Amino acid sequence: MTEGLEIFGRTVFDTLFIDWKIMVPVAVFSIIMFFVGLYLQLDKWGRGVPEGATKPAGAWGTLKLIVHRIFERGIGPALGIIILDGLFQRRTWRRRKTEWLMHILIFWGWVGLFMLTVAAAAAEFYGPFILNANYTFFANFWKSIEPLNELFAYMLTAGIVIAVIRRIAFADVPPARFTSVDWIAIIGIGIVVVTGFWAQGLRGSLGVEERMLISAYEAAAPSFFNNAVVLFHEVFTLLFCVAYLPFSKLFHMLVTPLIIMINKGGYVEVNP
Amino acid sequence: MARNKPAISLENLTPTQLMEYDACTRCGECVKYCPTYNARNKDQAIEPRDKILRWREFVNKSYGWKAKLFGPDAIPPEEIKKFTDDLYNCTTCGMCGTVCCAGIDTIELWEATRANLVKHGTGPYGKQSLFPKLIGEGHNPYLKQQKDRLAWMTPDIKIADKSDIAYFIGCTAGYNQQVLGVSTARILNKLNVPFMVLGEDEWCCASALIRTGQQHLGDVPKQAALHNIEALKARGAKRVIFACAGCFRAAKIDWPKAYGKPLPFEAIHMSQFLAEQLDAGKIKWEKNLEKTITYHDPCHLGRHVGVFEEPRKVLKSMPGVKLVEMERNRHEQRCCGAGGGVKAGIPDLALGVAKDRMGDVKATGAEVLISTCPFCRRNLLDGRDDLKMETRVDDLVVLTANLMGLSTDVKPPAPGAPKESISDLFRTQTIPPKPPEPPKEAPKAPASAPAPAPKEAPKDTPKEAPKNNKK
Repeated sequence: MTEGLEIFGRTVFDTLFIDWKIMVPVAVFSIIMFFVGLYLQLDKWGRGVPEGATKPAGAWGTLKLIVHRIFERGIGPALGIIILDGLFQRRTWRRRKTEWLMHILIFWGWVGLFMLTVAAAAAEFYGPFILNANYTFFANFWKSIEPLNELFAYMLTAGIVIAVIRRIAFADVPPARFTSVDWIAIIGIGIVVVTGFWAQGLRGSLGVEERMLISAYEAAAPSFFNNAVVLFHEVFTLLFCVAYLPFSKLFHMLVTPLIIMINKGGYVEVNP
Repeated sequence: MARNKPAISLENLTPTQLMEYDACTRCGECVKYCPTYNARNKDQAIEPRDKILRWREFVNKSYGWKAKLFGPDAIPPEEIKKFTDDLYNCTTCGMCGTVCCAGIDTIELWEATRANLVKHGTGPYGKQSLFPKLIGEGHNPYLKQQKDRLAWMTPDIKIADKSDIAYFIGCTAGYNQQVLGVSTARILNKLNVPFMVLGEDEWCCASALIRTGQQHLGDVPKQAALHNIEALKARGAKRVIFACAGCFRAAKIDWPKAYGKPLPFEAIHMSQFLAEQLDAGKIKWEKNLEKTITYHDPCHLGRHVGVFEEPRKVLKSMPGVKLVEMERNRHEQRCCGAGGGVKAGIPDLALGVAKDRMGDVKATGAEVLISTCPFCRRNLLDGRDDLKMETRVDDLVVLTANLMGLSTDVKPPAPGAPKESISDLFRTQTIPPKPPEPPKEAPKAPASAPAPAPKEAPKDTPKEAPKNNKK
């Protein structure tokens, strides 16, 4: 057992200490599945024939078409739509305020957690490889982002709570007839959130430094390392939110902003 | 084991449209505004969201990742037929696209999917299947003769042989709503705007074929567009005026696609032309009309093309007129119910939507409903009559002509002529009743059956309307 992960002669520390022998293959598998799913979707869309063409576009042609359509009026207008419609969901704001709040909480909660995860991963390597620092660098960095981490987690949770309450009690139109995939999404995200808070609770019972040192961990919380809930949370989240994404209803998270960008912001922007 | 063949094709759909089917978030905003869903007693199979989800499922069953790995799933033909019929229960008004949180261009999506289903063999719907033959061979959807294109003309109207301004009359005004043709022509004459028309050389704009997904059958819309464009170009037209919103939409959006480049002339709607003339101080009102008026934005002029303010500008400038808005106006207007082939294919649905729209009119308390599309006018007249409302329904051009001191009378209408052929607001003419048909050998109707309503327009005349009927 080491006090961190030895990579190219340097010790890399982090706060999770999930068994990397499980996590790394799952992460690689998830990313591969994500791209396979993306390819299969592009291949499906690519069976369509673009206006003015005589043959189907194919997967690669569709990808080029998407980029072309988004930027055909220049980078400035495209960025405007990406920011206003993609990041701040202007079309939803105009018509459905509660739904906008729900979407923004889920979207920014999810994006925030994702960005912090990327930042933490970068700091893990930046400390030992660039600064030649010991574990305290990452410990301090992690402490500095922990409040934001909690904020984004609560945003995500609040958004999901609004989604469920809205669906059950305050729907202004009848639900769609085909809702089975909605429930798969809601149950899946529910599992991610519940196990996530549970895992965070287990982590939170220890100080950051203790969490980073396996020896301290094992002494203080012998059940945490290889804890089934924590491990399940990490594995399930990767599989559900990354690998399954292109095959699921949640794929609209990617397709909807793309369509808004391709259609230059949609009706109201095209016909002001 | 041999794999199934996909139950559907993806013909006529672009990659972007296939993405649009996957982009729907099921929020249901479109459901709140869909006029046909409402008129069909909120039948969920009619709502735009449901159609998107069903077609998405068909595509995934035929071409999704499971189909790629394990072969396509079968889709019962009756499911595809039901979907087709539901898809045609739509006026392609575009309201769903206007409010769509995912920014889906639903008008193009419905039309492309309809074209796909026509190729599949399940579309179009009912009498819509007559359009290709009627428009392809007769160049109009009303079974009329090309030589009668200018039969509406009265001796007072002057049409130039050559002019850089053309008036594209359209089949509806030319054959069935002569009041629109004579009013447009008289206004142009009064404004000293020389204009020419194509006459027998004018072909249907072919909008009905495109709206119903039949654009590829014999390539009729393309041929019609190219014929009209070349004919107008050959006559030296620099500016073409359209008084029909449907033709105008076709010229602005559909014709350039067929032509492959921008049109060699400017297409302008009569309401825009009137607003221009008003700005130039050329329109002089000679009468006033002390009435409350509301304005119905035709989908093809408003949402599809973006002309909202010019008709209102003209109305507001009219002496005595008080313009009130319906709750749903401009971008969020409710469709009249006639478009997308619904009037021809599913008349009861067209009537249902028209009645809803007339309900919107009633809520304003307006005495007059003005529109800028002869097709809307016709359907709203039907809705008005079915509801037995007193509201007068007419075209902006007819109202303009009257207040400019011009006659809106047409040639004496033939017995049983369509009620929309004369002005509804200025009831200076009546349509003689159709002579009774000789008795048939067919079984008699039961004694309790209601007598058919006469096609004659009501005879009461508003006080301000001119009473001369000299044409």
